[in-house]
Amino acid sequence: MVKKLITQDTRMFLTGNEVIAYAANAAEAEFMYGYPITPQNEIMHTWCKLLPKTEAGFLQTEDEISAGFSTIGGILAGKRAFTATAGPGNVIMQDAQSMAEMMRIPFVCAVMQRGGPSTATVIYAQQETRLTCFGGNGEGFRIVYSTAGHQDLYDYMIKSFNTAWKYRFPTFMLADGYQGKMREPVTLYDPKSRGITMEPTPAALRAPGVIGVDREATHLRNTFNLEEELMEQLDKYQIDYDKMSKEVEEYLEYKAEDAEVLIIAHGIVARSAMTAVDELRAKGIKAGLFRPITIRPLPVEPMRKAVKRAKQVLFTESANGQLAQMCLEKLYGLTTPYQTLFKMGVGVTGDDIVAKVETMVQEMANV
Amino acid sequence: MARTKIVLAGEGGQGVQSVAKILVEAGYEAGKEILYIPNFGVEQRGGVSVAFCQIADEKIGEPRFAKGDIIIALSDRAIARCETYTSENSVVVYDSSVCTTKPTAKCKEVIAVEANKIANEQLSARVFNIMILGVLLKATNVLKLEDIKNAMEIALGKKFDAKPELRELNYKALEMGMAMVEKVGV
Repeated sequence: MVKKLITQDTRMFLTGNEVIAYAANAAEAEFMYGYPITPQNEIMHTWCKLLPKTEAGFLQTEDEISAGFSTIGGILAGKRAFTATAGPGNVIMQDAQSMAEMMRIPFVCAVMQRGGPSTATVIYAQQETRLTCFGGNGEGFRIVYSTAGHQDLYDYMIKSFNTAWKYRFPTFMLADGYQGKMREPVTLYDPKSRGITMEPTPAALRAPGVIGVDREATHLRNTFNLEEELMEQLDKYQIDYDKMSKEVEEYLEYKAEDAEVLIIAHGIVARSAMTAVDELRAKGIKAGLFRPITIRPLPVEPMRKAVKRAKQVLFTESANGQLAQMCLEKLYGLTTPYQTLFKMGVGVTGDDIVAKVETMVQEMANV
Repeated sequence: MARTKIVLAGEGGQGVQSVAKILVEAGYEAGKEILYIPNFGVEQRGGVSVAFCQIADEKIGEPRFAKGDIIIALSDRAIARCETYTSENSVVVYDSSVCTTKPTAKCKEVIAVEANKIANEQLSARVFNIMILGVLLKATNVLKLEDIKNAMEIALGKKFDAKPELRELNYKALEMGMAMVEKVGV
């Protein structure tokens, strides 16, 4: 049993990577497997620095392939284990993540996005959005929370463990290099004080009892002989996924109720959008924000309602429309016109969004 | 809503991030809302290192801003890099004893300081960045000297206790840095 460091509400001034390590401890995580990659390293560093006090475990593996599969191993043994990665590391961890999808393993991973493709930058991007949602040779049976700052990092890291173990789909907390490296105040708390009970983490392998007498055999498959066998299994997963979706979907609306221009953004860019919304409203432009917090599954119904209400939509991302593509498919049939503000691997500022929305409003007036 | 946006840029190894850390720690301890992003490449040394700091009275939205209120550039490359963060409302401070070029982007005011030269000649090259912190403190005028001294204790207290003369040296550098800017709160 690990020792929890945070027993009462504690205000701290931390980097996001430090927050994640504290959150994993608050969630009673027992083991982290990982391999160094910027901008994720300090999650591992902080986790390790705290080990003498937490009495948890850590294994640095030889690469992310190994880190992913080791995490699966820890989970099968009944440990609340997790990993964290970024960029090219996220790419090569897809093999293990796909296996977790196929075998319904409660895999938990924090992704701190950096610029891509390939090594690119070590700083920041939102270019692992599609990869984190749909990476691997499968259908994206995953849950992805996109965070927008340190309080989110703490809240959703804790939540990721419970979502993963409750629904048995791999669960990701998608953040980025800004959130990992930046410092801002955050309130750490004991989940119990917020009425959060951690889901139990029973072992899948070497569980106690005699097979056939005390318990059923555990049969985790990732290999199938017949096409039909595979589809039968995946159809069942799809039913589970759709049922679960309604329960886990989360979103945040900011002044979206009467918005004429609706900004759709996720993660840290949504925070810039909130700054922009305030500035635009001060100038008399009715702007609002729709921020999907779960970007897989997307909160489709609320998003469609918000888009339908608006006169125009703006998609903005630090990528070339990875979220927009996922949303547009779900918005099929609606006729609200949209524009885009995409900056590949570069932060979107409030000023960027204000300027773009002003142009959109002007264009609309000229029609 | 009062929000001060600061860009601090220099060569890797000049202590840009160390200064930024002390500044934001001081702001946090003083009860301000803070958001600090260190921005650097893959180099251990060299390359331009940039710190984006925001100090505000209310919760901060955007993590990265387009234009800084105050920009401090400590090398030629940093001057060039910072042009993009400069607007007509920005005050640009540069170290004329390090840089061979001058900031040319349109801005409200350019202030030249000679912190590197003065640190080398009168104190120690090691407190160059603390002198810059003094410049920043006076130019922004959102934090008090006491706040910065508290944050220096948090960051450097153990070193100070081992060698008390270091505390005096750093305080002196801080004051000399403050004296380099004429106007309080640019």
